[in-house]
Amino acid sequence: VDVKGLPRPLDGDEEPVKVLESYPLNCYPRYFRLTTHAIPASQSLVSRWHLPLGAVVHPLAESPDGEVLVINFGSAGVIRCRRCRTYINPYATFADAGRKWRCNLCTLLNDVPGEYFCALDASGRRYDTDQRPELSKGTVEFVAPTEYMVRPPMPPSYFFLIDVSVSAVRSGLLEVVAKTIKSCLDDLPGYPRTQIGFLTFDSTLHFHNFKSSLSQPQMMVVADLDDVFLPLPDDLLVNLVDSRHVVESFLDSLPNMFQDNINVESALGPALKAAFMVMSQIGGKLLVFQSTLPSLGVGRLRLRGDDVRAYGTDKEHTLRVPEDPFYKQMAAEFTKNQIAVDIFSFSDKYCDIASLGSLAKYTGGQVYHYPSFQAVTHGDKLKHELSRDLTRETAWESVMRIRCGKGVRFTTYHGHFMLRSTDLLALPAVDSDKAFAMQLSLEETLMTTQTVYFQVALLYTSSSGERRIRVHTAAAPVVTDLGEMYRQADTGAIVSLLSRIAVENSLSDKLDSVRQQLQLKLVRSLKEYRNLYVVQHRVGGRLIYPESLRFLPLYILAICKSLALRGGYADVSLDERCAAGFSMMILPVKRLLDFIYPSLYRVDEVLAMGPDRIDGSLKRLPLTMQCLDTGGLYLLDDGFTFVVWLGRMLPPELMNNILGVSLANFPDLSKIQLRECDNEYSRNFMKILGTLREKDPSYHQLCRVVCQGEQPREGFLLLSNLVEDQMAGTSSYMDWILQIHRQTQS
Amino acid sequence: MDFAELEAVEGLRWPWHSWPPTPSAAASLVVPTSVLCTPLHPAAPDLLPLLPYAPLRCAAPGCGAALNPFSRVHHASARWACPFCGASANPFPRRLAPDALPAELFPTHSSVEYALPPDPAEAGSASSSGGPGPPAIVFVVDAATAGPELAALKAEVLRVVQGLPEGVRVALVSFAASVWVHDLGFEGCSRVVVINGERELESNKIQEFLGVRHARYNKLAMPRFTKVQRFLLPVSECEFNITSAIEDLRSMSACPRGHRPLRATGAAISAAIALLEGGCSPNTGGRIMVFTSGPTTVGPGLVVETDLGKAIRSHRDIFNGNAPLTDKAREFYKKVANRLTAHALVLDLFACSLDQVGAAELRYPIEVSGGLMVHTESFESEQFKSCLRHVFKREGVDYLNMNFNATIEIVTSREVKICGALGPCISLRKKSSSVSDKEIGEGGTNYWKMSTVNSKTCIVFFFRVDCNHNIEPPTVFFIQFMTRYRHGDGSYHLRVTTVARRWAGPRSPEIAAGFDQEAAAAVMARLAVHRAETYHVRDVIRWLDKMLIRFTAKFGNYVPEDPSTFRLSTNFSLYPQFMYYLRRSQFIDVFNSSPDETAFFRLMLNREGVVGSLIMIQPTLFQYSFDGPPIPVLLDVSSISPDVILLFDSYFHILIHYGSKIAQWRKLGYHKDPNHENLRKLLEAPEVDAEALLADRFPVPKLIKCDQHGSQARFLLARLNPSVTQKTQLSDGSEVIFTDDVSLQVFIEHLQELAVQG
Ligand SMILES: [Zn+2]
Ligand SMILES: [Zn+2]
Repeated sequence: VDVKGLPRPLDGDEEPVKVLESYPLNCYPRYFRLTTHAIPASQSLVSRWHLPLGAVVHPLAESPDGEVLVINFGSAGVIRCRRCRTYINPYATFADAGRKWRCNLCTLLNDVPGEYFCALDASGRRYDTDQRPELSKGTVEFVAPTEYMVRPPMPPSYFFLIDVSVSAVRSGLLEVVAKTIKSCLDDLPGYPRTQIGFLTFDSTLHFHNFKSSLSQPQMMVVADLDDVFLPLPDDLLVNLVDSRHVVESFLDSLPNMFQDNINVESALGPALKAAFMVMSQIGGKLLVFQSTLPSLGVGRLRLRGDDVRAYGTDKEHTLRVPEDPFYKQMAAEFTKNQIAVDIFSFSDKYCDIASLGSLAKYTGGQVYHYPSFQAVTHGDKLKHELSRDLTRETAWESVMRIRCGKGVRFTTYHGHFMLRSTDLLALPAVDSDKAFAMQLSLEETLMTTQTVYFQVALLYTSSSGERRIRVHTAAAPVVTDLGEMYRQADTGAIVSLLSRIAVENSLSDKLDSVRQQLQLKLVRSLKEYRNLYVVQHRVGGRLIYPESLRFLPLYILAICKSLALRGGYADVSLDERCAAGFSMMILPVKRLLDFIYPSLYRVDEVLAMGPDRIDGSLKRLPLTMQCLDTGGLYLLDDGFTFVVWLGRMLPPELMNNILGVSLANFPDLSKIQLRECDNEYSRNFMKILGTLREKDPSYHQLCRVVCQGEQPREGFLLLSNLVEDQMAGTSSYMDWILQIHRQTQS
Repeated sequence: MDFAELEAVEGLRWPWHSWPPTPSAAASLVVPTSVLCTPLHPAAPDLLPLLPYAPLRCAAPGCGAALNPFSRVHHASARWACPFCGASANPFPRRLAPDALPAELFPTHSSVEYALPPDPAEAGSASSSGGPGPPAIVFVVDAATAGPELAALKAEVLRVVQGLPEGVRVALVSFAASVWVHDLGFEGCSRVVVINGERELESNKIQEFLGVRHARYNKLAMPRFTKVQRFLLPVSECEFNITSAIEDLRSMSACPRGHRPLRATGAAISAAIALLEGGCSPNTGGRIMVFTSGPTTVGPGLVVETDLGKAIRSHRDIFNGNAPLTDKAREFYKKVANRLTAHALVLDLFACSLDQVGAAELRYPIEVSGGLMVHTESFESEQFKSCLRHVFKREGVDYLNMNFNATIEIVTSREVKICGALGPCISLRKKSSSVSDKEIGEGGTNYWKMSTVNSKTCIVFFFRVDCNHNIEPPTVFFIQFMTRYRHGDGSYHLRVTTVARRWAGPRSPEIAAGFDQEAAAAVMARLAVHRAETYHVRDVIRWLDKMLIRFTAKFGNYVPEDPSTFRLSTNFSLYPQFMYYLRRSQFIDVFNSSPDETAFFRLMLNREGVVGSLIMIQPTLFQYSFDGPPIPVLLDVSSISPDVILLFDSYFHILIHYGSKIAQWRKLGYHKDPNHENLRKLLEAPEVDAEALLADRFPVPKLIKCDQHGSQARFLLARLNPSVTQKTQLSDGSEVIFTDDVSLQVFIEHLQELAVQG
């Protein structure tokens, strides 16, 4: 076998757009991707498939063709099936001269309301089909009438819980946070209804009064952690427009207010309770900035650390799950009150992301981790990601349900949400950076229909205060041929679902067994395919796999080598591992694939080109040492971090131009800041970074520079990401393929 | 004997100036052997020298009396003899030769005042300047006060703050549902520490919350916060911060319909005390001034629930044991009182409300700390403003016109035992050989503490005679009052008053001749009020009657069984009348007042001297007419007449009552007519006199002007002797009081009948 000839996903994710050729009425696959666009007709087919059967849903993905059309049914009301509550969609058919419509999911014949009536043409198609998006497009948005509301639509509200203990002050965190929030005030969604509030804390809680009539901000300190109470009934969460000057004045003075603080304690638990009390009436987003391990009051966490002895034992996984039920209970309360929690964690020591992250996990939030945060180094990343979090379009107080046609049913869901009933996902807030995955099972042993329909419905409040339902409808064929399932397989969706399942398994199992299970699934699946293929084509000992799954072996190897699942005790810090796990649970397919199989570029050759040619000239390289030329300058991009690798033989002039200093004068590369310098190389280099960052605004890559041979940094930053290479205890791509090959034949 | 003249010298009033030597004889006097003492009575400088040294004290164990005019000095042996214990070996410094006798030995100086040198023991404990720091004032402001009222209050407090001497330390605590302690030393924004209003917290817990005391768990953290000075700063250092903090106080009076606003008054007081406990030495002294507009509805000291459907307790509820909240609140405030006393802190209450605020429950700590209680209807009222301004009046001096951290110690001849005290003080339970087992009021001690004391504060001390029967009693006995206090200027003073009185045989005419009926009435009033704290008023009246009958039976001249022969000599003659008016006064007949008002009246009586007490018991009534200058008239309904103006002074109320004719003339504007100059003058005269009364009194009384038959006239009618009632034969134009109370005449007749029965 030739290493060079092995398949590599150097073009990243391949969206299965070809589905639209056979199903043009389907929503775009980026909203809804099945792991195989062929639903097995029988249980036995399912069991022979071995790979997960399911879907990845990205309900608020950026629309590929502009805005999603919004439909207001007015007095007719939202047209839904009387029995299964499916929304009217392009697959619905009309009968009885247009007076009835048949539900494509449950086949019930429903009345067409008078206001919605339209005559049918000879083929039974409504004359107005092309004018009505809900009858012609797979993705639409309905304006929900008042019966879809339990209360008036909430205003977008942002509440900030900010650790002001000594580490937050010294790292410069407060200043970055305050400045960033201030710079976003004009762009927060929902003007003029947006609500805002702040609570700072160390060993005490500091409430802040934003009453619009105050001449200066007022801080109210509550030290009674056993019995948290609100010092004011109102004015802690206020309308931004009314109190804008008080809020700005607060943000201006926030860094100074605590500049002398040398308090080392953190009463996060009581602070969360207080935030809950403030927010519980309205709901909204709670952004928690935590820079130390919670040490006081309810929810205080133990420095349980990362015990080397725990690895490989039955207790290993307990390190990755919350120890104190407080955080999960709190999360349940938050979700019930429409509060989504985002965790921004900054500690340079262990801060139990496993526990803190569960707040985000069950509230539809996300976890940002900035280990050993220093404003100089991480400031830009935080600034960008916090701005993104605050200004991206957000759907509030939402619930999501995925209906499917007879015979199939979604059984398990993987992502950040709270399951409210068997199939209703509560999402206090959701946005375009969050995707969800779910597994499908057959309800009957034999499917009788030709087609299965799926409908994703997200009921939410828009920032403008409208209650809306976003609906994605898709159809997939029912097949009786396993080969068809392989042909229609979607590697991106499979990897996405597999990685989420693997991360979840790591919460109840050893990393080693999680990796083994992944490998086993791969082997079984390929073996099944081999059997199929061998029978058909009678070929010998070659490793064979379907074209659709050609990258799967490498991706599974990459999952096993991802931050969340790689190695053991010494390979990744516990907090980083957990943080990566939380990220993997929400990433959309493309980002996930780029994260586990990062892009590697050789840059030095491109730098001399004209700026307009740069983008087209960047070529992804296989993730292996063999691609690295000691005379070259390389860039690794996993979506979260850039690693700039300087080959040993890189011309010093080029190096100095890019770094802006002579390397001889700057031995500590971990502290170096790349800024645009006044030379062609530097400008081009910064342009490359800019271009790559622009491709996906949801995160901001932190740029780190490492020299060839600089240990141990080179190992952590770059070598461990070269997933095709053999690293301590892991296989190289080549060995992996041989191993899989062997196992498929046994 | 002119008792008032003697009082001007000694500052004392004695119901009995001569005491019988045996306990049984003393008991038969009915009115107890007691002294009304005004420890800091104002005296002319020539009568009261200020001595710049510490007194010579008797060295005998358990005595400690200061050198006084009754001490015999043997210059030859340089010794002085103590008149109290008889010790004669006290060293007398030789430099005080006979021609340079110290002032305290002069017979005219029954009172002297020492300016004490700084106590080295105290110097180290507080500020670096030596001696305790300047006094501290905590303003405790009720933020649940409605907007306009709060604005008026803020303006007044600001005015006070701006007028304070620079060194005075100030703190601001505001409260509604929770308690806010304002950080006056924080830069950048206004910072407050908020304490839960619902919980009764230990002082050290509050200090921990304030950050002035280290929590168990973070001994290493926050050294900067150890200074309580963040919350308690000299006004010169925090004027900007405290001013803006006061200005930024917002009304938090909003509450659900049908509810009272949440007010954590008790928790606020407790927080203020904790702040001072943590922030100043017990020698410093401080005031906690509470400004509130409603009852405590949350947390410790709760007096009524927020639900407006539930009324605040009435007298009837309290008598029937149907006021559980009151009982609990009193328990809480008892603890508050002990904390105040231990730290020499004063608690003042300025209650400005149309309704009760729970002053009855708050009374104890206010009373024993010597604090002020002011009731008005509104913070916007002149009455409130002038009261508050009066407290901070200081004639050109750069210190507060207030005394702090006072103790009073009594030394007696060995035949005189101390039973206790009634008045604004608390017993320090310090036993000495002169302390009696029988306790009255604050007893079991010869040492009392008062967080503050002023020149009018008057305390009644009760004594018991205990002569040794075997020995011929001496002819005189001595009592020495030593009052140590911290003067407004920061120095400590000691006022020593030493007096001697004669023993008199049980049947000696000296006893009756030495009876001061006004002083006796004042003492009996305090005793009655004291009893009323534990007994139903009905029993108190019964007790007063029984005492009066026994008293008149003993001191009246009569033929047994013949009431018509009954006579009392002149210095006894008014006493029954005082008792009659006392029975009908607001102190005993509480059913026309709320418990808050009663608490206020009784608190005031308990610290007032004889003159003021008498006005409270039996108000004065002056008549203004065209016939001549104003004249005192009987406190009787018959004094009301259509063509006179009455000026009524009950101490708490000053009322100008216009006869119906005068009122009519005034309404017609005759007084503006130059032809009726005399009417204008007649109308002016009582107003001028009323102003003079108002100016002199604290708290400033309420001035009421009313016309005959007007509704406000009830304040007058309630206190007049109902000699004419609805049952009486009517005569034209006379006023009638609708009552079933007996008139003075009937009362006296009954009394005589009972007295002569023996
Ligand atoms: Zn249906
Ligand atoms: Zn002596």
